[in-house]
Amino acid sequence: MAPVMAQDVTVNDLPWLLEYSPERCQMCGKCLAVCTFQAIEAATERRLASPGGGNAPAYRLAPVIRQSGKLAEACVGCGMCAKVCPNRAIRPVRNPDSRSELLVRSGGLPAKRGGRNNLLKGRTLDEIVVGRISQMTDPALDSERHTFDIRAPFGRVLGAGALPLAAEGGLLQVTGKTPPVRWIYPVIFGDMSVGALSPRAWEAICLATAYLNEVHHLPVRMCTGEGGLPPGLLRSEHLQYMILQIASGHFGWNRIIAAMPEMQTDPAGILIKIGQGAKPGDGGLLPAVKVAEHIRAIRGVPKADLLSPPNHQGLYSIEESVQKMHLSMGAAFGFRVPVAIKCAASSTSVSVYNNLLRDPYQICGGFFLDGIQGGTGAANTVSLEHTGHPLVSKVRECYLAAVNQGRQGQVPLWAGGGIGMTGQAAADAFKLICLGANGVFIAKLLIQLCGCVGNENGRCNACHTGRCPVGICTQDPRLIRRLDVDKAAQNIVDYMLAFDSELRKLMAPVGNSSLPVGRSDALVSVDKAVADALAIAYAC
Amino acid sequence: MKISALLGEERLSTQELLESIRQAVREGERELYIDAAGQQDIGGPLWHPAGRPLRLVVHNPGQRVGAMCLEGTELWVEGSAPADVGWLNAGGRIILKGDAGDTAGHCAASGTIYIGGRAGARSGSLMKHDPLYPEPELWVLKSCGSFSFEFMSGGVAVICGYDSEGLEAVLGDRACAGMVGGRIYCRGSLAGLSGRDVKASGLTAEDIGFLSGKMGDFLGAVGRPELREELTDWAEWRIIEPLSYEERPRKTITDMRSFRMSRWVPGGIFDGVYHDDGAVIPLVAQGDDRQKIPLWSEKVFARPESGSRPAGSSCSDCRICLKSCPAHAITRVAAPGETYRYAAAAALCIGCGICAGVCPAGTWSMRGNSEDNIQLAVSAGRPAKRAGACP
Repeated sequence: MAPVMAQDVTVNDLPWLLEYSPERCQMCGKCLAVCTFQAIEAATERRLASPGGGNAPAYRLAPVIRQSGKLAEACVGCGMCAKVCPNRAIRPVRNPDSRSELLVRSGGLPAKRGGRNNLLKGRTLDEIVVGRISQMTDPALDSERHTFDIRAPFGRVLGAGALPLAAEGGLLQVTGKTPPVRWIYPVIFGDMSVGALSPRAWEAICLATAYLNEVHHLPVRMCTGEGGLPPGLLRSEHLQYMILQIASGHFGWNRIIAAMPEMQTDPAGILIKIGQGAKPGDGGLLPAVKVAEHIRAIRGVPKADLLSPPNHQGLYSIEESVQKMHLSMGAAFGFRVPVAIKCAASSTSVSVYNNLLRDPYQICGGFFLDGIQGGTGAANTVSLEHTGHPLVSKVRECYLAAVNQGRQGQVPLWAGGGIGMTGQAAADAFKLICLGANGVFIAKLLIQLCGCVGNENGRCNACHTGRCPVGICTQDPRLIRRLDVDKAAQNIVDYMLAFDSELRKLMAPVGNSSLPVGRSDALVSVDKAVADALAIAYAC
Repeated sequence: MKISALLGEERLSTQELLESIRQAVREGERELYIDAAGQQDIGGPLWHPAGRPLRLVVHNPGQRVGAMCLEGTELWVEGSAPADVGWLNAGGRIILKGDAGDTAGHCAASGTIYIGGRAGARSGSLMKHDPLYPEPELWVLKSCGSFSFEFMSGGVAVICGYDSEGLEAVLGDRACAGMVGGRIYCRGSLAGLSGRDVKASGLTAEDIGFLSGKMGDFLGAVGRPELREELTDWAEWRIIEPLSYEERPRKTITDMRSFRMSRWVPGGIFDGVYHDDGAVIPLVAQGDDRQKIPLWSEKVFARPESGSRPAGSSCSDCRICLKSCPAHAITRVAAPGETYRYAAAAALCIGCGICAGVCPAGTWSMRGNSEDNIQLAVSAGRPAKRAGACP
């Protein structure tokens, strides 16, 4: 055995340690069989057999399992070993003395990972409570029994003065065209691509969307992400629930265009992705390990790291983005389908939003603001942890900018990035709506409902490795087969039904039977700085 | 005895009027004509000192006429009345010839309320039935406003739907939200009922018996006996009852599999680009679904002696692998005339690698079961290659 050197990397340098009790272990091998990261190995260890007899010590060999000390095989804390161990003999624990942030950059390459920002700890939304309760002032509603109109616009809403209406002969007549607007549920599932997700995970979200629409009449829409669409969906009626995304790579769009003559229905909308909250500055990134043959076919690419540029080639200004891109996407579907745009929240968001509001073509059907706490399948860690903008104040500023122009609600504001991080998405959505959002978009929460075990405390976050232990962020058929599509979809459906009830629980006490967009009087903050920044009341 | 709420130019306050009514009743007065001027709460709670019945006729009442009315009180209201007619009625018989404002019969728990016109929004809300007393009744000749019978938990309501042909719903929009008890008989169109709270069906003989027994009294009281024939075509009537506790879904039953089989894209949306047989495997899997597969001794040379050690192999035939394999997948194969070899059966092996971990000679090694086979599994939608026995 080679001598151990001071600079050697060993288990103690890794971010997770496997706590193992050999006396509980029966060597059944299950932990070894399930670990997708090769973090566990079987071995024999030499033990002193007995102290007595002879001059040399006597040894015996003990079979054990142990953690790999290699950086490339570092445990990510997913806990599949603990899940299958019949004797609770093994479990991952965080290593507070990990040196992995230093070690992963060996080789001169930037660190990469998936998941969400792990450095930001506070959450503005949790500093806000619904403090304005209808009691003697006006009647509260009953969340269980009253009927609520929970709908949000996707599409350009014209101001009253711009509506093409005229009175002729005592009758109100529509004298011109209005932009398409869809009134949908204020939650959009989005936007994770075919490629980032396994076919089963992607299909589960799609299936849940259709189920919510067709069985529960909840008009939830799903944004496809940019990675092409599966052929069966392009030609099905279910396309009506899908918002097609076009990002800077334009991946898969040739197949979408080619399928147009055979489409049974228009899609629900188009979302132009300019940036992503989790990693502004990074474009899309699909590591080669996930570019399996079906992904290559759908996207029309070879096996390689697929990098989308951080900006759309050919769009150099806000005006150009609005005119050129919105116009093209609107034209593609005969101006029947609303077109919206998604940007990473940024110090510049208000300028962009003001431009969209003033757009003379009235073609922008929504502004999607994606905050820093959004998730991603793969990013440079430095982008994930250190770039981006908190969502909440930016949503508020955009809304108030619209109010200042008297144009609130005309370009619907949709907020995403960290919605449901605590598992309580309805509260997050409600607060953002009171601050001025028309609706929210969620993504990471959906895959967590499917079975993803990743979190913001460094657990798993291995979406970029293609070794997802639950078959969600992988293209390995062996791992994909671990995912039960029906169960995954069902978890999403059940969560959304609960979400719907919980949203009513928050709408009822403020006395709104429709969404309280911009009703910031319903909120108070227990943090003075937050209250001041959001122009809401401070309470203590 | 007549009590007037106006004394010349002076209008009695509600307190003054109610005190004078109570004083009269305390003094044994049993019949009162009250010429009111919008005073509230006329009609209850009143009781005769000797327990004799009381009869009040009220003109121009304010809100809550007949509120908290007791058994033994009969209250006639000429014309219409504003909100809360018969609020918290505890046994009185209240007859209103005209229309009632909002929340008529709200929280009525006993007695009878007859309304000879329409009733406003939220009428009949929270009616309940205390089993110590007869059930409350609310009869309306025409229709109700929206949100009627919210949270109703007992009693009977009868909405006759007279002169309501043009209405979308004789119970108004969004009726019966949160209704858990009692029953509503109604005639005319129904819309906007709370489907997760109530169900509507045709009348039974018992229902018809109840209605026909009391219809005469109601129509007589509100002065429309001629309508009896028009209102007693029982085929036009429906009964609305709350779903029973058992009928109410406690939990949503999501049946994704049936939905996928019957209403989803056949074969799944990825059919044609990604082959998927739909099987869901456990975390610990065998055969093709293993993460890794064991490989024994890559170099094997045949020797004539049966059972001898294969040349070029490091194997010492110690059988530790055989004894350690938790899946009992390893066998030692030694056909006559050939050298022995070890093999792990794919159908049993879970790919744990204990064989490789314990092998003192390094004869067993683990090979990834991914890259090559992934390609085969997904290419052009062909089914995954069946892995044979491990070498």
